[in-house]
Amino acid sequence: MREPCADGALGPQVALSLAASVSALAIEVRGLEKTYRTPFRRRKVEALRGVSFSVERGRVFGFLGPNGAGKTTTIRVLMGLIRPSAGSCRIMGHDLPSQVARSRVGFLPEQPYFYDYLTVSELLDLAGRLFGLDRATRRRRADELIAKVGLDRARSQSLKKYSKGMLQRAGLAQALMNDPDVVVLDEPTSGLDPVGRKEVRELILELRDAGKTVFFSSHILSDVETIADEIAIVARGQIQSQGTPRELVGQSLQGTEIVLRLAADAANSDAERSLAAPARAARRIADELTVTLAAEDDVDAYLALAHGLGAKVVSVVPRHETLEAVFLRQIAGADASGSAREGRV
Amino acid sequence: MTAQPSVAGPAASVGRIWAVALNTFREAARIRVLYGILVLVVASNLLALVMGEMSIREETRVARDVGLAGISLFGSLTAIFLGVFLLYSEVQRRTIHAIVSKPIERWEFVFGKYLGMALVLSVLVALFGLAMALLLGSQGVAPSLAVAKALVLAWAEVLTVAAIAIFFSSFSSPFLSGIFALGLFALGRLTPDIEAAAATAQGTWIPAVATVALELVPDLHLFSISGRMLDGVAVSVHGEFVGWGYVATALGYGALWILGLLAASSLLFQRRDFS
Repeated sequence: MREPCADGALGPQVALSLAASVSALAIEVRGLEKTYRTPFRRRKVEALRGVSFSVERGRVFGFLGPNGAGKTTTIRVLMGLIRPSAGSCRIMGHDLPSQVARSRVGFLPEQPYFYDYLTVSELLDLAGRLFGLDRATRRRRADELIAKVGLDRARSQSLKKYSKGMLQRAGLAQALMNDPDVVVLDEPTSGLDPVGRKEVRELILELRDAGKTVFFSSHILSDVETIADEIAIVARGQIQSQGTPRELVGQSLQGTEIVLRLAADAANSDAERSLAAPARAARRIADELTVTLAAEDDVDAYLALAHGLGAKVVSVVPRHETLEAVFLRQIAGADASGSAREGRV
Repeated sequence: MTAQPSVAGPAASVGRIWAVALNTFREAARIRVLYGILVLVVASNLLALVMGEMSIREETRVARDVGLAGISLFGSLTAIFLGVFLLYSEVQRRTIHAIVSKPIERWEFVFGKYLGMALVLSVLVALFGLAMALLLGSQGVAPSLAVAKALVLAWAEVLTVAAIAIFFSSFSSPFLSGIFALGLFALGRLTPDIEAAAATAQGTWIPAVATVALELVPDLHLFSISGRMLDGVAVSVHGEFVGWGYVATALGYGALWILGLLAASSLLFQRRDFS
C-alpha cells in the first residue's frame, strides 16, 4: 500500500484516497468484538470475541458457521447496522461505517424485509436514489437487474405478493443497484428451493467473473464448498479457521482408496488375501477389490505389491477429511472450550 | 474499478432525504386509519353545524370553533400516531436494514421520515380545512382570513407534535412513545394554565419546578390562540384575530422546536443498534 503523501506532490486527501484505492484487500476486519447486555438481568453476552479476517479483491468468501455463531452480527457490524464494542472494519480501504465505504457495497440482508407496498421497480428506484444515481441510470440499472434476476413478469406486482424466492431475487437486485465492488450477502440461499439455490450460486460466480468481491454467510456446507474461493469458519463469536476449501480439508489425509482389478484366477486366492491384509478395509465385488489404506501407509509400496501379484490398478483416490467433518469438529471444539470457559466463570 | 456516484455534499444529502420522504409518504398514504380520521374530521364539522343550529344566533361561531378544534385535535392525534408508528415499524420490520446499509446518514433518515410524515399531515390538514370550508360554505358562511390564519397555526401545531412523537419513537416503544407524546401535547396546550396555577402557589417549590418544566415543553397554546388573551387583548377568529406577523413568529417558534427535536432524535437514533 502506498504511504499517504509519499511523493510529496499529492494533497493528503488525494493521497489517502489513492492509498485506499490500491489496497489489495476488499474487506479487512480486525479484532471485532460485540458485547450485549440482556434487557432485565443485564447478563453480559459476547456475540463477537475478537473476529479478524481479510478478503482479497475479486474472491468469493464464504462465512460459515452454525446458527448463533456470530455470522449475522459480523455482517451487521460490517454494514453499519450495529456498532462494535471494539475492533475495526475497512471496505476497499475505507473505514466503516463511512459513507464512501457503504457506497462501494451492495447488501442483501438475511430474510430480506422490504416495503411490501412497493413494486420491484420502485424498490430499485429507492435504492438508486439512496446511492445518488441519476434518473436515467436508475431506470437503466433497474431494467437490467430485473431481467437479470428473472422478475420481468412480476415487475408490476407489489412485493407483498412475492414468494420467498422472488423476494430474495428482488433483494439481490437492490444489492447490485450501485454496481458495487463488494457484495455482502447474508444467508443468500437460506429458504430457497434447489433451483433457487442453484440460481443464486450461479449469480455469485457471475459476480466474481465480473471482478466483484462476494462475501456471503451460510450454514449450508455444500453451497459454501461449491462456490467459495476462501472460507472462514466461525463459532461462538470467534474465527476457528480460515483458508481455501482445499487448505481446510486437505490438511488431514484420512487414507487412500485403491481399486484393483484382480487376475481371473486371483479371486479367493492367496493373492487377494495378501492384498487385503495391509489395508484398513477391503471389499471385493466381482473381480474388483477396493481397499482403503491408512494415511500413514506407503501407497507406492502397496501398488508395487499389487503389480507383483498381477492386479491392475483401476483408481487411486486420496481421501481427505470432508468440509462437513472439519466444520463439525471445529464447532465441537469451540463448544467444548466455550463450556469450559463458562464453567470457570 | 467501477465509477461510483458522489455521495458527499448537500445536493446528495437532500436527494437521500427526499428519497426517504417520498417512500414515507407512499407508506403513510396506504394506512387506512388515516382515511378513518378524515371521515371523523368531516363528522366533527357536521356535528359543529348541528351544534350551531341548536345555538341561538351563534351558528357560525360554534361551527368555526368546533371545526378548528377538530382539525387541531385530530391532526395532532394523527401526528402522534404516524410519528410513533412509522419510525418504529422500520426497526421492528427490519426494513431499515436495507436502507441504513446504503450511504445514508442516520440523521438523513430521521429527517426524511419526518419530511414524509409532514407531507402527509400537510395534505390531511389541507383536506380538513377544505372540508370545513365547504361545510361552512354550504351554510352561507364565507371563508375569512382569520380562519385561514388559524388553519396555518393548526398546521404548525400538527407538525410540531409530529416531531415530538418522532423524538420519543427514536428510543422507545410505540406504546410508551404515544403516552409520552400525548402527555407533552397536553402539557404544551396547558402552559398558560400551568403558569397561572404555579403563580398562585407562592412560597413553595412548585413555581420553580413549573418554570423549569415549562421551558422543556413546546408552548403549543401559541398555535391555538383563538379565544385567549394576547398581550391583554382577547383574540378570536370571530373578531379581532392575530396578524401575519404573529403567525410568522409562531411558525418560526415551531420550526425551532422541530429542528431541535429532530436533532435530538438523530443523536439518539445514531447510537441505536439494529439487530
